[in-house]
Amino acid sequence: MGLWLVRRVAASAAIVGAVVTLTFLLLHLAPGQPFLPGAETPIDPAVVAELRREFGLDRPLTVQYAKYLVALAHGQLGESFALHRPVAEALEDAIPNTLVLTGAALALDLLLGLVLGVYQAARARRLPDVALSAATLFVSSVPTFWLGLLLLLVFGEWLHWFPVGGVVDPVLHHSLPWAGRVADRLWHLALPACTLGAVGAAATARYQRAAVLEVIGQDYVRTARAKGLTERRVVLVHALRNALLPLVTLLGLSLPFLLTGAVLVETVFAWPGMGKLAADAIFRRDYPVVLAAAIAASVMVVAGNFVADLLYTVADPRIRVHGE
Amino acid sequence: MFGAMPTRLVLATLLCASLVACTRRPGCVGEYCGTLVFASVGEPEALLPPVAQSAVARDVSDQIFLKLADLGSTTNTIGDEDFTPLLAERWEWAGPLTLVFHLNPRARWQDGEPVTAGDVVFTYDAYNDPRVNSPFRTGVRWISAVTSRDSLTAVFRFRRRYPEMFYDAVYHMRILPGHLLRNVPRDQWQSAAFGRAPVGDGPYRFVAWKAGESLELAADSTCFLGRPHIRRLIWRFTPDLQVAVSQLIAGEADALEVLVAPEDLRRVQATPHLATYPYKGSAYGFLDFNLTAPGDSTRPHPVFGDRDVRRALTMAIDRERLAKSVLGEHAVVPPGPMSELWWIWDPSIRQLPYDTIQAARLLTARGWIDSSGDGVRERNGTELAFRLLVPTTSAVRRQYARLLQEELRRVGVDVQIDEVEFSVFSQRAQAGRFDALLQVWNTDPTPSSGIAQTWTTEGIGRSNFGRYANATFDGLVEQASSSFDRPQARRTWRSAMEVINQDAPGVFLFALENVAAVHRRVTNVTIRPDSWWALVRTWRIPPDGLIERDHVER
Amino acid sequence: MNLRATLALLGALALAVYVVAAARRHAARSSARRRFFRHPPAAWGIGILTFFGALAIAAPWVAPYGPSVTLEIVTLQNQAPSLLHLLGTDLYSRDVWSRLVYGSRVSLSIGALAMLVAVTVGAVVGAVAGYVRRWVDTVLMRLVDVGLAIPRIFLLLMAIALWEHLPLSLLVLLIGLTGWFGTSRLVRAEVLTLRERDFVTAARAAGAGPARIVVRHVLPNVAAPIIVSAALGIGNVMLLEAGLSFLGIGVRPPMPSWGNMIAEGAPQLTTAPWSALFPGLAIALVVMALNAVGDALRDALDPRKEAA
Repeated sequence: MGLWLVRRVAASAAIVGAVVTLTFLLLHLAPGQPFLPGAETPIDPAVVAELRREFGLDRPLTVQYAKYLVALAHGQLGESFALHRPVAEALEDAIPNTLVLTGAALALDLLLGLVLGVYQAARARRLPDVALSAATLFVSSVPTFWLGLLLLLVFGEWLHWFPVGGVVDPVLHHSLPWAGRVADRLWHLALPACTLGAVGAAATARYQRAAVLEVIGQDYVRTARAKGLTERRVVLVHALRNALLPLVTLLGLSLPFLLTGAVLVETVFAWPGMGKLAADAIFRRDYPVVLAAAIAASVMVVAGNFVADLLYTVADPRIRVHGE
Repeated sequence: MFGAMPTRLVLATLLCASLVACTRRPGCVGEYCGTLVFASVGEPEALLPPVAQSAVARDVSDQIFLKLADLGSTTNTIGDEDFTPLLAERWEWAGPLTLVFHLNPRARWQDGEPVTAGDVVFTYDAYNDPRVNSPFRTGVRWISAVTSRDSLTAVFRFRRRYPEMFYDAVYHMRILPGHLLRNVPRDQWQSAAFGRAPVGDGPYRFVAWKAGESLELAADSTCFLGRPHIRRLIWRFTPDLQVAVSQLIAGEADALEVLVAPEDLRRVQATPHLATYPYKGSAYGFLDFNLTAPGDSTRPHPVFGDRDVRRALTMAIDRERLAKSVLGEHAVVPPGPMSELWWIWDPSIRQLPYDTIQAARLLTARGWIDSSGDGVRERNGTELAFRLLVPTTSAVRRQYARLLQEELRRVGVDVQIDEVEFSVFSQRAQAGRFDALLQVWNTDPTPSSGIAQTWTTEGIGRSNFGRYANATFDGLVEQASSSFDRPQARRTWRSAMEVINQDAPGVFLFALENVAAVHRRVTNVTIRPDSWWALVRTWRIPPDGLIERDHVER
Repeated sequence: MNLRATLALLGALALAVYVVAAARRHAARSSARRRFFRHPPAAWGIGILTFFGALAIAAPWVAPYGPSVTLEIVTLQNQAPSLLHLLGTDLYSRDVWSRLVYGSRVSLSIGALAMLVAVTVGAVVGAVAGYVRRWVDTVLMRLVDVGLAIPRIFLLLMAIALWEHLPLSLLVLLIGLTGWFGTSRLVRAEVLTLRERDFVTAARAAGAGPARIVVRHVLPNVAAPIIVSAALGIGNVMLLEAGLSFLGIGVRPPMPSWGNMIAEGAPQLTTAPWSALFPGLAIALVVMALNAVGDALRDALDPRKEAA
């Protein structure tokens, strides 16, 4: 186990290292190099000179790479052109918001998907299953931002059940007691999290339905049924426990999709997370922010996969013995 | 699972906790409460007045910084009778070219220091400094010197006599705290920390600025002008006008200065808690042609350097229908680069007509012919094509861009639209790196400073993005601005406008008739057309009209 | 809607129904096809895909107006759906239905082309990695790990950020080049098992070179996962294109794509929801169809799996 851990951590670190190198290469080898004057970027010559000095652009590529890595190790990700502040600071403010959003979406994905999938499997091929199958097929095929717009229209505009964007109420938040503040945050989180999680939940439900149905047909379940256990106990206890396992990997794998979706959902709901930061930065040709966001996203994905693998290994004794 | 007893205990604890959580202290009550939330589409670039050009930066600065004197409700810029004293409690003319201001001894900076004439001298120096590169520099160009006679007396000396001397002395400059800005290098004023946390002398203090979210000001109870009734001002930044209107209608915002789309106005008028305030618009929008090559101002533009081509393009656009489509009933086509606010507004000024046939004929005459049959004209191998620069923050301009693209396609011009973020737009406009762009100016209340800044050779490198230069036009503007004879000035302005219309350095598309919306609970609302929220310090929310957010003290 | 357009639309619908019926009739012929049609959504999927495919191909006949035609910018703005304008008009008084039809060309072809690039690259890389093994395999699979670590949209954002005016063809290529990682893993797994099979050993003994073996013997047997991957991949690309256009960096107006139609219609959501609603619905329908067909194909082409 210990060896496996070490190898896994090393592999993850290598991947992050490769991503960093990739961003470095893109930055320095792409046409229209952003730090040179004459490019289509909104910087005045003084800042350009400083950037050239800071990034050592007149030195050979390897030296630049070394400086880049050193700066990265110190947490210096450069200065944002548009926001006039260090990128690391902007990311610091943005990442927690994205984590909250993706966390809530994952929770929704897991719970709703599980419940729906099991319910569908229990009522296989009857009317509720058929209807839900069609519904999950639809929701898992819908563009996330379109769903977000729809939810915003119906629940934000028409029904006024939820606010139209933002993380907290800019006016009242500070004056609320802690319970009120939590409620305010949850109220603002509801629609974006539902949007982001809905598509995943639909996909999970479809997967879970198939997985549970497959497990139900297997030997040990037939044995349990033969022993006289109720259908509910059969499904819930036995089949579920074994169908749960792939769910962990599924969730780990869905992290990249969640982050991709986060960019769009955050834009629709004006949620100040990493995705919106990157989307805004694209407009402004604010390269340092885009690249730093990409690195941050990769780190999150790698970390998520690592945790998922760990959980899987812990949960499934069949795998624990062998290394990767 | 749990036993009965502990369940009741748990429930009771939850109930108590929620009661405690839900009861709130009453907060602020009385005359001096209130939180006003402005729905704002743009975010200020900085809050340092000389470098901040955007309307929202001006709105915020209006509350934090004071001028020497302010325009009255008549917006008359000639002479000094219609101005109200602010930092200067009185003034007199010590000669035909000398103006003396006596500062109010009770005026204080928000850090406690008194406002002195030294600050006025410092401010003039900063506004005039090429390193600061203030867009307002042209406004003070006729002031030759500002000196201080003593700590409360500032003396302005002018280069020549003209009707709006007083206006130029007081309107463009917001007085800055010399003691806080003296040590900031002038060329770094654009990104100075002061611009993100300013200290002023006005009725409101800066509290907090959460980038991308909101900006908060709090009333300064010790302000010598009187304590503002509304305790807090919050600007909420929204990605676009639609969201701002939605927030307004939902009650999450209290005020919006311009309701542009006719649909928005209808929705707002149907909302019971909102009141609408129409006022003369100070904005006009136009399509600006870059007369020089993008990125190289020494060469003429391959397409727009040709006057006849510009005239043809102007004649190919049906400005009336475009304005009706985009803005409904609340806009008119201006007879030149002017807003409704200006006294020189005259619909009978001669303009180029809408005539697609003549436009096509003119283009063919200049050698632009569609020889390849693909619908786009060419000449010597180059296509009659250009890129139109539009900021993403303006829904109106984006809509205009699409419609213009279609209008011009019908006469064989290929237009590509570049939608860029607002800061990129400003940078490229200033640097001349564009073919054509759609710009909207919120004009000063008088044509003299505005026109000079945007359409004369003086404005090149500043607000004259297209680098239009016509000596005749410059001369006429000069003459009109300095004439003391009103009817004669009007005639000269008219001639100037006709010259610029014939030269067609841009297509003047719309002049807004504005409608603002403010929550009904706010009373004593006055909106000045040239600076919408300038009089917020006089607004009131009566104690019986306070809603939930008004009670917040912060 | 004029006569020609109406007739063309009915023709497209008729074609879809006919294709599905014909496919069903031939379904009894092979067990694979029977398994395919055991999924009820599969038939609908084929019908929907045929319909939209017909729309895309016959766009100039089906659409009553051109995609950029502004009809009457004052009186015909934001009109609700009616007999004259099936799906209403948008802010610029353009017929939404016509734009939808022309947009299907753009969105579907971007989906197909990008997927083609992705599947080709993925299949080649996977086959090479799986067949050659040794250090080539390790290097390629590490590359795949890196590719899978960066969420796709961030990869694209990075690439797009550094080019000022990205031509559409390059964008399609980039979308394809960011989506092959999953396919390559699938193919590699298949190739690894196939490698040990007799027919491969026989071919090697006969003196065939590795390239020939891979192309002529191995890849055809890997067809099944590739095809399924392709079907699902088109859907992903269409959703991605829609997202990019929504952010303003995908297909540039005035060329209509379903994604940028949603983007342009979003500000009018409260007053004229149809201009943003219908393109989204179209995307959902096509992606649904592709998912249904993909799932059914997966079962049809893989006899080892029991239908659930």
